[in-house]
Parts: sequence; C-alpha cells; structure tokens
Amino acid sequence: MGEKEESNEPQALNPASNQEEGILDKLEKKAKKYLRGNKTNLKNLRDKKLKGQLEVREKIYGNAAKVAARAEEWLKPSEEGLLEPENPLERTYRIQQSSILPEVDVLSVSKAFDMKLPDLGPYTIRYLSNGRYMLLGGQKGHLAMLDVLKMDCVKEFQVRERVRDVVFLQNDQLFAVAQKKFTYIYNRHGTEIHCLKENRHPLKLEYLEKHFLLVGTNNFSQLHYQDISTGQVVANYRTGLGPTSVMCSNRYNSIISLGHSGGKLTMWKPTSGKPLITMLCHQGPITAVAYHPSGNLVATAGMDKKVKIWDLRKFEAIHSIPGHAQTLDFSQKGLLALANGSRVQVWRDKGSQDFGLYMTHGIPKGYQIGTVKFRPYEDVLGLGHSMGFSSILIPGSGEPNFDSWVANPYETNKQRSKKEVRALLDKLPPESIMLDPGSIGMVRERQRKEKLTKKEIEQQMVEAVVEAKGNVEIKNKTKGRNKPSKRAKRKQEEVFNAKKPFLEKQRETKEGPQQKKRRVLLEVAEDLPKSLQRFVKKKTM
Amino acid sequence: MADSTEKNRRKQKRTKSKAAESTFLSKKGKPEKKGRMKMKGKGKGRDNDQRKRRGGGPRLPNVLRQELGLDTKRNSSSDSDSEGGEDVRDFYELHEEVAQEESGKNRRFDEVENYEYELPEDFEDEEVPSDEGEDDEISSGKSDYEGDEEGGERHLRMLQDITGIPKEAFDGEKNKREEVLVSQADVGSESVTIHDLLAPLQGMPGYSSLRKRVLQQEKQPMTLQAPLRKSERDKVQRKVSDKFARKEITKWEGVVKRNREAPTLFFEQDQNLGYSTVGAIASGFEPRTEFEKQMAQLRQDPELVEAYKNDGARMLELNKVSVKDVMDRQNRLAKMRSLLFRHEMKAKRIKKIKSKTYHKIKKKARQKAASAELEMNPEAAKLQAIKQEQKRAEERLTLKHKNSSKWAKRILKRGLDVQDDATRAAIAEQLQKHEELKRKMNSMNDNDSTTDEESSDDDDEDEDESKRALKALNKAKEKTAKVLEEGDEAPKKGLFALPFMERGLKKRQEEAYEEARQALEDYDATLNQLQDEGEEGEEEMQQNSSAVKVTGKRTFGPAKKTVAQEYNKRQRLDDFEKNSDSEEDDGEFDEPVPQIVEDKNDKTEGVQLGTSLLDEEQVMAQHSIFRNLGDMEKAVGPKTTYEVAIFAGDSFRKVRSDSGHSNKATTSSVKHTSKPSQETKETDQSYDTDSDTEMVEGFLTTNLSADQKPDYELPSQAELVRRVFAGDDVAAEFEREKLEILNEENPEAEKPALVPGWGQWTHVQKKKGLPDWMVREHEEKKRKRKEALKKRKDAKFDHVIISETINKKAEKLMATSLPFPFTSKEAYEGNMRMPIGPDFNPVSALSALNRPEIIKKPGLIIQPIEYEEVDPHETPDQPKRIIQGAKPKQSSKEKSKKGKSANKLVPKTLGKKVKST
Repeated sequence: MGEKEESNEPQALNPASNQEEGILDKLEKKAKKYLRGNKTNLKNLRDKKLKGQLEVREKIYGNAAKVAARAEEWLKPSEEGLLEPENPLERTYRIQQSSILPEVDVLSVSKAFDMKLPDLGPYTIRYLSNGRYMLLGGQKGHLAMLDVLKMDCVKEFQVRERVRDVVFLQNDQLFAVAQKKFTYIYNRHGTEIHCLKENRHPLKLEYLEKHFLLVGTNNFSQLHYQDISTGQVVANYRTGLGPTSVMCSNRYNSIISLGHSGGKLTMWKPTSGKPLITMLCHQGPITAVAYHPSGNLVATAGMDKKVKIWDLRKFEAIHSIPGHAQTLDFSQKGLLALANGSRVQVWRDKGSQDFGLYMTHGIPKGYQIGTVKFRPYEDVLGLGHSMGFSSILIPGSGEPNFDSWVANPYETNKQRSKKEVRALLDKLPPESIMLDPGSIGMVRERQRKEKLTKKEIEQQMVEAVVEAKGNVEIKNKTKGRNKPSKRAKRKQEEVFNAKKPFLEKQRETKEGPQQKKRRVLLEVAEDLPKSLQRFVKKKTM
Repeated sequence: MADSTEKNRRKQKRTKSKAAESTFLSKKGKPEKKGRMKMKGKGKGRDNDQRKRRGGGPRLPNVLRQELGLDTKRNSSSDSDSEGGEDVRDFYELHEEVAQEESGKNRRFDEVENYEYELPEDFEDEEVPSDEGEDDEISSGKSDYEGDEEGGERHLRMLQDITGIPKEAFDGEKNKREEVLVSQADVGSESVTIHDLLAPLQGMPGYSSLRKRVLQQEKQPMTLQAPLRKSERDKVQRKVSDKFARKEITKWEGVVKRNREAPTLFFEQDQNLGYSTVGAIASGFEPRTEFEKQMAQLRQDPELVEAYKNDGARMLELNKVSVKDVMDRQNRLAKMRSLLFRHEMKAKRIKKIKSKTYHKIKKKARQKAASAELEMNPEAAKLQAIKQEQKRAEERLTLKHKNSSKWAKRILKRGLDVQDDATRAAIAEQLQKHEELKRKMNSMNDNDSTTDEESSDDDDEDEDESKRALKALNKAKEKTAKVLEEGDEAPKKGLFALPFMERGLKKRQEEAYEEARQALEDYDATLNQLQDEGEEGEEEMQQNSSAVKVTGKRTFGPAKKTVAQEYNKRQRLDDFEKNSDSEEDDGEFDEPVPQIVEDKNDKTEGVQLGTSLLDEEQVMAQHSIFRNLGDMEKAVGPKTTYEVAIFAGDSFRKVRSDSGHSNKATTSSVKHTSKPSQETKETDQSYDTDSDTEMVEGFLTTNLSADQKPDYELPSQAELVRRVFAGDDVAAEFEREKLEILNEENPEAEKPALVPGWGQWTHVQKKKGLPDWMVREHEEKKRKRKEALKKRKDAKFDHVIISETINKKAEKLMATSLPFPFTSKEAYEGNMRMPIGPDFNPVSALSALNRPEIIKKPGLIIQPIEYEEVDPHETPDQPKRIIQGAKPKQSSKEKSKKGKSANKLVPKTLGKKVKST
C-alpha cells in the first residue's frame, strides 16, 4: 500500500524548456475541458460579418477557458488520493480499515467511528450537500441531526412514529422526514414546521436542490413533486407500477428514477405524466438505484443477483457485478458503494468505464446495512444499519476541492443565508427538468404534428396540383366521345379536386365558427325551395 | 463667263468663310441659340443676295442654266455648303428650293409666273442698290476687303483731303489691314489657300485628279459639335466630383470598418468638468467689483509683495526653536498626560464602587444561588462543606469572634452593663457568629431513610410468603432497571466527551448492563417459577404480576421507560386521542415495569464477522425472502429468539418464534405463486393499513428477531409474492408493454373489411376479394407505421422505451427558429455552448464574456469620428477598441502641456490604446 506518487520521468537535455512545454500542454488540456466542446466550424459560413463576430467570440471563449485552466491550478490545489498497490500482486480490497487508520492523519482518524443505537431500529442516513451535517433517521422514530465536522449532535428527538426516510432541504435549517402518514418538515431545532398532507404514506424522499422540489413516492404508487418554496404541488403522477421505495435523482438533469418490482427502471420529470424512459434492467425487482455524478451512468441492483452499471447514452449495461445489493451509492469521484447484509463493497472505475473492486468492509455479521452514503467532500462512507451508524474511510471517494459558491462545509451563518437567497433567485422552473438540459436555448426541432405555416400549405397545394395533373388518366373513348374539350374539363376537375381539401382548410381557418355556421346555413338555404329561403335568411341575418 | 465663274468662286469663298466662322463659333462654345440667330441673319442676307441676283440678271430657266454650266458651280458650292453645315437647316432649305421647285424636272405642273412667296420680279428694294456693281461692291465689301481696293483708294483720298496728310500715312493702315486679313485667312481656313494654290494649276496635267482629291478632302465632315445638354454636362460634372468624393470617403472606410467590427467600443474620455480644486478656482479669479479690484491692486503692489517676502523670511527665522524650549514643552505635555491618566484611574475606581444596598442585594442573591446550588449539585455542596470546615478550623484556632479583639476586651473591661443596647447587641452578635462558625456541619452523606420507609407502609400483613418474595423480587428488578437507566447518561462535555473515553465508558457500561440484565433475567426466572407455583392466585395478584410476567404482550427495553412516561404525559394532555395506535401505546406504556429482552450470549454469537459478501446463497437460504430495509428491523442475528407481540387481525397474538415458521412462510408464499402479479395492486390498500400496524409494533417492540418474519410479513404477503415472482417473465411483460405504447402512439392499421353488400354487385365480386384501393391503402398505412417505428429513438433497443411525446411546457425554453444573424444551427449552437455566467467562469474572464457593445460613462459626449490611418489587412485582434481615449484633465496648465506632449508622442496611426485589465 502506498500513497499515490507520480514517477519522475528522465529529464531531457533542456529541462527548463521541457518543463515549460509540459506545463503549457497541461494548461491546454485543462483549457480544453473548459471550452465545453469543440470550436464551431466557421468555414461553411458565408456571412462574413457573422463569421467575424463568431471568430471574435470564439477567441474570447478560448481566453476564458485558458483563464479558467490557470485558475484551476490555484483553486484546485489537491488531488484525491487513492489506494494503489505497490506490486501487481497486491490487491487494494484486501486492505482493512484497521490498517488504514494508523496511516492517516488525526483528523481523518476521527472521521471513522461507530455509533451503536440498538433500540430504534435500522437507520437511514443522509448528508447535506456540503458534507457538514448528517441526518440519522431511526425507523422507530428516532431523528438526529449531527454536525459531522465538529462531531456534535445538533438536535436529537423522537417523533414516536415510523420514519421511513429523511432528507435535507436546501440547507441545514430544514429537513423533511417521511413518517407514518405524512411528510413532515422540521427545522434544525426539531420544531415541526410543516406537515405535508398532500403526499400520504410516503415511502421515500428526494430533494432537487436547484428546483426546490421535494419528490416523494408513496404507498399508492404515486410520484409526488412539491415545491417547498411556494408549497405548491407541482405534479402528482400515478406510476402504475406498484409502490416503490427505490428512488434516486440524477444530479446532472434532476430526472427522478424509480426502480420497480418488474425489473423496470423509469425516469420521470415533473411535467410529463408518463415516464420519459422505461428500461428493463433486471429479471427481478430492483432493490437500489444510484446515479453517477456525471449523470451518464446509473447503477441498479436487482433481486436477480446482479448489480448493473448502465450507460444512459447507449442504454447498455457496461458492467455487471454478481451479487445482491440492498443499497447503492456513487461518490463524487465516481466510486460505487454497494452493501448487502453486513458487507460493503466499493468499486472503482479504473479508466474507460472498467470497474474493478476497490475496497471491502464488513461490520458485525448480525447487522443489516440499510443505507450507504458517501459523505461529500470527504473520503468517508456512512453506513446506516440496524444497530446504528458507522462511518469508514474510503480514500479517494470525495471531491478534494470544494467550491464555496457551490457547497461550503465551513460556511458561516451569513454565507448560508446569502446562499439561500441566491438559490431562491436562481430557482429553476420545473419545466427545465429534461433529459438533456443542454438543449435549453437551442433551436428546437420541428415536430411532425405541428401546425404548418401558410407558405408550406401553399407549397403542398401546388405539389398536389402538379401530381394531380400528371396522374389524370384519360381513357380513349369511342369515336365522337373523345372530345378534347371533355378531356380538358376532366383535367380541370382533377386539379380542382386536388385543391379542394386545402382550400376548405384555409377557409375554415379563416372563418370563425359563427361565420361557418352562417355559410352552412346559406348553403342549406340554397337547396331549399325559394318560398322557404327567406326564413333561413332571416335567421342568419 | 469668266465673270460669273469668278462670282461663283467668290460666293463659295464667302460661304466657306462663314462656315468656318460658324464652326469657330461653335468651337468657342458660345451658346447655340446665338449662333443660330446669326446664321439666320446671314441666311437672310443670302436670301436677299439671291433675290438681288435674280432681280439683277435676266432670269433663266434652270435647265438652261444647267446647260450653261452656270448653276453647276453654284450647286456644287451649295453642296459643299450643305455638307459644311449639315446641322444648319437653312442651307438645306436653300438648296431644295432651287433643286425641286425651280428645276421642274418632269414639268408636271403648269408653269407659274410668279409664286406667291416669291417676290415679284419688279420688286425693288429701296435700300438695296439695284445695280450689279453696287451689289457686288456691297457684297464684297461686307465680306472681303480685297474686292474694294478702289473704294480703299477713294477712302484714302478722302482722308487725304480731309486731313491734309499724305496718302502714305494711311497706306500703312491699309497694309496692316491686309496683313491682318491674310493672317485671318491663314487662321480661318486652310482650304482657301489650297484653292488659291490650285487655281494657278488649272489646266495642268493631273489637275483634275488633284482637284478631286481636294474636293474629297473637303467633303470630310467638318463636324460642328453641338454643346452637350445641361443635364448631361451636369452628369459628367457629377461623375467627376463623385470620383473625388469617393476617394475622399474611401479613406474613412478602414476606420469605420474597424469600429464596426470591434466587438466593443469604449468611450472613456474623462469629462473636463472645469476647475476641480479650490486652488484652481482661486487661480482663475478675476477682480470685478471696485473693492475686489482695490484688493487685487494692493496684493499685487510690488512694495507690499516685497515687504511680505522680507517679512516671510523673518518669520522663518523666528521658526527656529531652541532645545530647551522643546524640552520644556515635552515635559509639560508629559505632566499633563500623567495628570489625565491619574484622573482617569480615579474615575474608574470611583465608578467601580457600588452602593451598600447594591452589595446587600448581591450578597443575598449569591447566598440564594449558593443554597440552590447546594440543593442541586452535590459536588458544590461538598465544596461548600470543605469551605465551612476550613472556616471552622480557622475560628477554632484564632477565636477571632470570642471577644478576643481589642474592642471587645475594652468593652468587657468596662462591663457590659454599662454599655448601651447597641453595643451589647453587637457583642452578642459576635458571639453568635463564633458559635455558628464553630458548629460542626452536618455530614453530606445523610441517609434518605425516609424514602425507605414509604415503600412498605401499604403492605398487607396477611400476604403470604410467596407474595412477599415476589414483591421483593419486583423491587430488586425495579432497582436494577433504574440503575441501568441512570447509567445511560454519558457526560457530554469535558474529558469524558472525548471519543475514546466515551468508547471506554460505553464498554464498561455495557458490561455493567449485561450484568444487570443477567440479574434481571434471574429475577424473571424465579418470578416465573413463583408464578407457576401460585397459578391459582387471586385476580389481584395476577394483575400485579402481569407486569412482571413475560406475557409476550409487551416487551420493553430499559431505555424505553423514560420515553414511555413522557409519552404518557403527552397523552394525558392530548385528552386521549382516539387514534388506535396511540391508544395501544398508551395501554402498553401504562405498564410500569420494564423488562429486558436481550440475551447477551446470543447476541455476541450473532455478532461474528461475516465471511464474505458474496456467499449470498447461504444468506438467501437462511432468509428465503429477500430482505430490504423494511425487513431488517426484524433481523438482528440469525440465532436470536425472542418473544414478541404482534398485531394480527383484531387481537394480540402471542407468537413464539422458531425456525419452523420460516418454513411455513416459504410454503405459504409458494402457494401464492399461481396468483397473477396484477392482483397485488388491488391488495395494496390492505397492505398499507397492515404495514401501519406493523410499524406501530415496530416502534413498541424494540428488538425483534429474524424469526418473526412470517408473522410480520403476513399482512404484506401479496406484496412479497409479487416481489418474489415479479421477475418471472418480466422480459415478455416488458415487450408487451412496449408494443402497447407503440400502438398507442402509432396505431396499427385496421384491417380492411367489407360491409356485406356494399361495393358488390354480385357474388362474383366476392371471389375477387377486397378492392384494389382498399388493399393499397392498407399497405400504405402499414408502411407508414413501420417507418414511424423505425424512426423512434428506441427502435434499436429491446429493453428501452423512450417516450416520444412532446413536452409543450419545455418548448418555451427553446428557440423556435434560428435567431437573426445566424444562418446555421451548428454555428448558433456552437456559440451557445459556452456558459457566460459568473458561476462558470473566473472573474477575470467574466467581463470579456459579458461586455456590452458600447461602453461609455454617463454624461460623456461622444465626439465626431476622427480620421486615422488603418491597415486594411489587419485582423481585429483586440476585443476592445477605444474610441475616445482617456485624456489627462486640463486642470492646470502644466498638466495639459504634459498631456499634449504625450499625445504627440503617440503616433496617430496606432490609435488604439488598449486598456490593460
């Protein structure tokens, strides 16, 4: 076992320039990341003015990317450390927690601890997005909020009701608890702030930070979206696939995934009553789902004794791990933790989506792990189990550099409140949840069923007429009957017939319902005997 | 003949010269009208001439004339005339008159003696002399000076007569005139000279050919260019001026182009707000009023200035300070400072001094607090005791209050009786204090014997032995439970709060727990025995013991009790809500005696490290049903067996769990396999309610074993069945579902069907089957559907359904068409790909990304554009372009001068100054 070390390559003759080049190369590589895609190909553009403008724009983008890359050097000083075998025969998953603990610093040692809470049943856990606070929800009504940075219990109380799930809302000030009948919102002092009666018998909760949406599934197999800033119920859909407590949100696009008993994984957004994507992932019921932070990978565990990692771009299982898992979680750096019974495994992407076993851990055998959650910005994995809670060290799991604009573990009260206001101002509407959020602001593709423009209709009409003209079949008739005038008339008729539907449609669109009624009446009147016509006219006038 | 020819020639000459004149005129560019007028005038003259000629000579018919050859020359001359002046109509007219009317070639018309328009032959013009000579003279005199030599002679003579000066004197004038004429002829028309030259050659061989050539040459157009029309002339002028203007303007192109292409224009010249400092304003001051002027005069008075200067120098001298002075000053300052400090200290001290009442109140409060503390905190009491002890010892040693002071002694010496009441009281008080101090304190460990007494007062004497034993056991149990409960509290602060200390403490506590639990269990066992023995005891006794008995109905962990009591209180406050759960809870918590239901040995056995995660087979075999979080509450260890109460149906049922149950569960679940999975949906509701009750149980009964599973899962059996057997044919089910969705979005084409009797005339048609168009339509529909299905995103994947429904709400977040300047989607999307917000970019790059097109300070006046040379081939490299660079303020002359020089140094061609950011 050894810390990660970069091997020094043999120096060239001109080390200084080489180094410089290396640095430049690195910078360029980093800058490429910040360019967010390739430069647009402007060669095909004819408009010179536009071309010039875009070129300038591209240049500005390039500069911005370079500046960002340079800033990264200072703003992201640390890299995540991973366990790396010293020789090829060594396996990282053989390394026990007990052998890690003496090696690491004092602060990290204190992060590995166990809490025995034998009485109030299996615990679910949840970390705040900045990794500072943790919620413990005992199934038998025990709720506790811990400051895991200071190792301090913020609040601990009993709700005397079954607790199914807990989730932090926008910050440590509020958290939601799925209780026996309703979802409750408490503040950090344990005061009940709200009781959300709209979602009865909640099973699982999920919070979408940027949209201020609290998502829950319930026993009536419904998916419930509620805006916690306004209190509005944004959506409530019947999944029609049975009640489920397997839910996970995709951090990239805020899509909610549900795992069902039929082995199906469905993906939902609040503005559509039907799942966007339905995937058959397993032969048995799905027990757990977790999204990779990039949003492209999703891991599912099924009762068919498989854990699969799917690439959502290809809809293909890129890796299948044999074994059961009750719970899954991806870390910020893409480590996958899965737990079954009292054993935990951590898998790691070894590059190019090749997952390999990275670490294992076992807690006393009788204990049943209910939840695994990686602590954000720390190399810590939290395990909520039947006998309480324990946290273990998983090197390289957390993002080593935090962005204080995104999530600051050390934020002050003022920063917190400011951030809250900012978040409220930047709140995204529920419509913006979609599979590809990058398409926002882009040109949307014309749908087939969309209304045609006038020009297009005209074009169609002309085409139809041309076709009709070509298709006129005129039989050769007997002598005398084969008159050219008749042929011409026939042709005309054909053309008129081709035009007719278009013209009618046009007229319909032009005239309102009343006008149409009048027209129809007049038409009827024409058919009537003259003596009766006046009555019709009177009516219409 | 010769005469006539000569005449003709002369005429020719005249016309030539006229033509030359006219051309000359036109060349000179005189207005056309004028020229024309003149021509006309000439033409008239010619007409007159003709008339005169006609009138003069006998008029011959044209034919004759032609025969005579008289007219030929004239014709030719007229020809030449007409050729010479094509543009001038008058000549043509003249010719035609002669040619057509007079010639009368075919003699079709009667001869008319006199045409109306012709003047009669005898018409004589008065003014014009009719004789030929005169005519000649005049005509020649008009045009040629050569012809009237005689006249010239006469003139000379006349002059001589008049002046008396000899003729020669005037002869020079004539010569001169001749010269002039020659020269005029030279300049005017070359042809004349040629003809003159030709004349002597007449009759010589080759003359005719030469003459022809000359004539031919003469025939060459001697075009008289009409001056251009004004509009055209203007056009030409405009063209030229446009060329110049264009040249002038194109030089701006570069500048304008650069400005236009620059993504941002900066107008940042500082406004010159005039004077900004007081000094600047003062320097610009000009005296206006009388007084001001006087003052200014005074100020600028040289004497005064001088005096001031001198004085200033003296004042400077005065500025010198001696060392001693400085020392003095410092000392004085130090003194003042120290005084100030002392005063401050004094004030501070005085401020600290509080009144007597304040101290009294404070003391009282302190005492009160201390007493309260004593009651609350044993440690504080202990400290207090120690203090008291110290004081006592001190008192005993010093006997300070035992009338040992000087004051007391003196009073005693005098005798107490003599003293007044106050003194006596003081003495008494002192003695009292001594007594108080000396008195031994009660020890801290005084027994709470009173509490012991209360327990046994209500005992019945006639209770038999067993009962008493039971009671004793109960009490013992209660106590152990209490101890256990108390032991739970762990210090939250200080040394004991450290994690490792905590851990150690916990360990010890646990050990103690276990001991206590064992003891409790022993009690339980004995209690059970006792109960079995005295089963037929009274009702009352059973009630008592029910709490103690292991009925399986209610089981509490020690830690539960406080919660339960608390809960009870709340229940009472809530006036007994009619919630079944709470009622149930209530009932259970009313039981005062807790019972501990954990077997230590069993547990430790269970807490062995698992061999590996991957031996699921074993696990699965053990549990037979997959576990999830919900199930886990029942599963602590595989071997533990506990008694629990569960709520099944309407009544409490006691279940003794054993391994057999799990088998039962499996068999029961197998029985349910035949049920379709859809059924479970219907049973969901019932499952819900069941699970609720289960949940309540879960809350009440703390440690449940895995073996209670069957009972627990009884209500959710259907759910379980569905879960277990849902995977049976999921693939087929999914396929079916997908097909359904596909059909929903692209319905399958209906099979064409014929309504009997419709479209058929006879039975013959039936044999044919469906009509062609129907089949065709059907095929078309089928094809379309197939295409639509192929176009779907999930066409390639069997295991995926991707919804194709359009989301209208999300559509408003997208652009319906390409925004204006963009022509291709690719370019637009490429431009949009980069986020420009502050969350995604470093601050230094942010401003460049979000810069507006024009940046200018408010109130800045934008100056008209200035010319500067620009390289047309340079690329707009800098994203910033500064139009009005910042110039230094013109506040003072020096500064402005500097600024100017700086401006000069910067070449104009560079123009752009890039502000470095």
